[in-house]
Formats: sequence, C-alpha cells, structure tokens
Amino acid sequence: MKAETEQLLGYIERNIARTLEDCTTCGKCFEACPMTQYSDQLKGRSGGAVVAGIRSILEGAGGTPEALEWTRLCTQSAKCIPACPENVNPMLMMRLSRITSLGSTGGPAMLPDGKRDPNFFRRINAFSALQFSDAEIAEWQR
Amino acid sequence: MGTMSERVVFWYGCNAVRHGDIIHSAIELLRAVGIESDPAGGPAYCCGTAKDGNLDAAAGMAARTVEKFNASGRDKVVTWCPSCHRHAGTFMTGVNTAQFTVSHITEMLHARRHLLAPLLTHAIERRVVLHQHSGFHEVDAYPLIADLLRLVPGLELIVTDYAAPGHMCSALAPHPTALKDVGRRSVELCAENDSDTLVTAFHACQRLLCGLATTDSIRVVNYVNLLVEAMGLTPPPDEYAAWKNAGSEAAIRAQIGPERIARIGAEFFAKQMLPELRKLPEK
Repeated sequence: MKAETEQLLGYIERNIARTLEDCTTCGKCFEACPMTQYSDQLKGRSGGAVVAGIRSILEGAGGTPEALEWTRLCTQSAKCIPACPENVNPMLMMRLSRITSLGSTGGPAMLPDGKRDPNFFRRINAFSALQFSDAEIAEWQR
Repeated sequence: MGTMSERVVFWYGCNAVRHGDIIHSAIELLRAVGIESDPAGGPAYCCGTAKDGNLDAAAGMAARTVEKFNASGRDKVVTWCPSCHRHAGTFMTGVNTAQFTVSHITEMLHARRHLLAPLLTHAIERRVVLHQHSGFHEVDAYPLIADLLRLVPGLELIVTDYAAPGHMCSALAPHPTALKDVGRRSVELCAENDSDTLVTAFHACQRLLCGLATTDSIRVVNYVNLLVEAMGLTPPPDEYAAWKNAGSEAAIRAQIGPERIARIGAEFFAKQMLPELRKLPEK
C-alpha cells in the first residue's frame, strides 16, 4: 500500500474509532435527516435501529439493509450535526459509512460506487477547453 | 479598485470549470477587494472527494494538491467549492501537512465588503430569490452572500426559509425525486415572491438549475456575476446556461461553433457533453 493511502486509511480508522466511542445510537441524526422521506425502505423506521446498523457497518460487521439505504441516500445536508446530543459529527459518520460500504477500508463492497465514471475528468477538461484560453489552462490547471 | 494587499491561491475546484464566467467574475471580485489571486483548478487540483470508492486515488489527489499549494509560496488558499472546502478541512489536511490556511471566498469578500461597496454603483433593478442549501455547515455562506447582494443598488433580495438538502444541487443528482423537489420549490418560491430571477451561490446549482430559463422563464444567475454587473462591468457571458437553453442540438452546436467542438473532439462532444447540455431540470 502506498504511504499516502496508508495515512488516509489511518485517518479514516481514527475517525471511525472516535465515532464508535461517542455515538450512543440515540437516533436523533436519523430523525433530523431530510432525505429519509425519499425512501420507502426507511419510512417509519426507528432512528436508533438504523444508526445501530451504521455502527455495524463501521465495525466491519456488515450493517443492515436500512443502514446501507440511508448511507446511499446521504447528501450531506448537515441537518444531523446540530441534532446530535453527543457532539458526534453524524455527517462525517455517514461519509465514513459510505467509504466503508464501498469496500475502501478492506471489507466487501456493499454499495455500488455511482461515482465511477471513466469520463468524469475528461468531461471537466473538455468543458474547460471550451471556456478557457490555452494560457489560462496552462497556468491555472496544470 | 482596492490597493492590492494580499496574494492568495484561488482554488476553484474541478466542476466549476463548466462555468468560466463564474471563475472569471470571482477573480475580478477578489481583485476589487485588494486580493491578487493565483487561480488553480481542474482535475490537476482535484481534492479527491469524489473518490470514496478508491482510496489510492483519493489519497494521491489530496497529497498532490496539498503539495502544489505548499509549493505555491502563498500562505492562504481561497476556496470556491464547498466540497473542496470541506475536504480540505478534513481528509486532505488531516493526512497531509498544509503550509497554508483555507478560507472560503464568501468569507473573504464579506470581510472586505467596505472595499466592494463603493464600487457597486450600477443599479440592478430586479427582484431576486436566493437559492439556498443546508449542507455547507463549515461556512455560513448564505448570510454572507445576502449581505453582499444587499449592497447592490436597486436589487431587491428575497431570502426565504427554504434550504434544499445537500451542500449543492449536485449532491441531489443521484436522487432524482429529491432534485425534482428542489426545482419545483425553486419555481414556486419565485412565483410566491413575484420574482423571475433565482440567484445561486455555487456552480453546481447554476449547472443544474440554469435550464429553468427554458422550462419556467426563470433567469438563474450566480451572485458573483450580479456583483460584477453592479460594478458597471459586463460580466463574462454565462455560456453554459446559453447552451442549456439553446433549444436544440443544432443551436447548441452553432453557439459553440465547429472550431471549439473540433478542439475537444466531435465524437466526445456528441457522446459525453451534448446529453448533459440537452438535459433540462425536471419537476
């Protein structure tokens, strides 16, 4: 593993450990989430149970279908942050859940990576070429 | 113009390059408040935030970008994109040693609004609604933008209590029903407030909502272009919005022109760019 990847993984693991230490699974973050309304699977679910599933993802124990669904839905609305009575950053918790669910921390991939697009950066460069001069691209974007 | 007192890196991110007008106007505004910027962006300066599924790529991009900023000789990086700003404050600098501080452009402009205010002499007689999201919790950008826009003579700014989920509209793109709700609510807010203009804070909202000009006769404009216009300057044309609202493939091609299309490759343009440009907001 490359040194910078190892460092990033260490950072992720430290934040997972901190989250697991502080989160009491009260479920307030789930209740504050504006995105749950967009999933039939999450309607009427107990916040505590779904967050327990998130903890299970972070622990590498697989999570629950509802926890994976919530992870998939998270748009980083930040509504969860003030809702947390323990001062955990639930938005970061969900990002860590996403990273883990994608299989990036060594476990199995449980969610598809919708951002894998071989033309993502090519499109950006192409739009840039339409609107920036050669000099700007050379000086600002290389 | 203010006296140049500070030199910074202006880091506009990746996807913002779809909006050359926004980047050029932002640079103009920084200059107006005395900040000379070294612009930096595009994939070569990617923060890595889109690479949650590939840590090698995420780590490599973050390390490379921090290294470039460290080597720039500037002790401040001014961000445009809320994704980059967030990633810089967490994953990027949590792993790499940064020899610079990071501020968002709204903070920089707001802190120097006393320098900007005397330059905003050109009245813009328009009633506009500010499009907002809830997710950029690191910087309370919307009140800062609202303060700046209230300096524009003639401009009637409506700030509602509606804030869409996510930090920008692009966060909602994987969730079409939620994105449709944002489009519908934006149109409703304009109607309720007797306005035909929606003001965006970020490039991704501009990208995904500018087609409302076609679907609902609502002009969507980024706040930096309004401020530049209020300075009596002609803002750079919002070409992306013009292409989105061109009405047909032929019209888009005509606006961009064969020379520019050839520059990026006709096949790539047809397969990878036209579908995006033809897609209008759904509600």
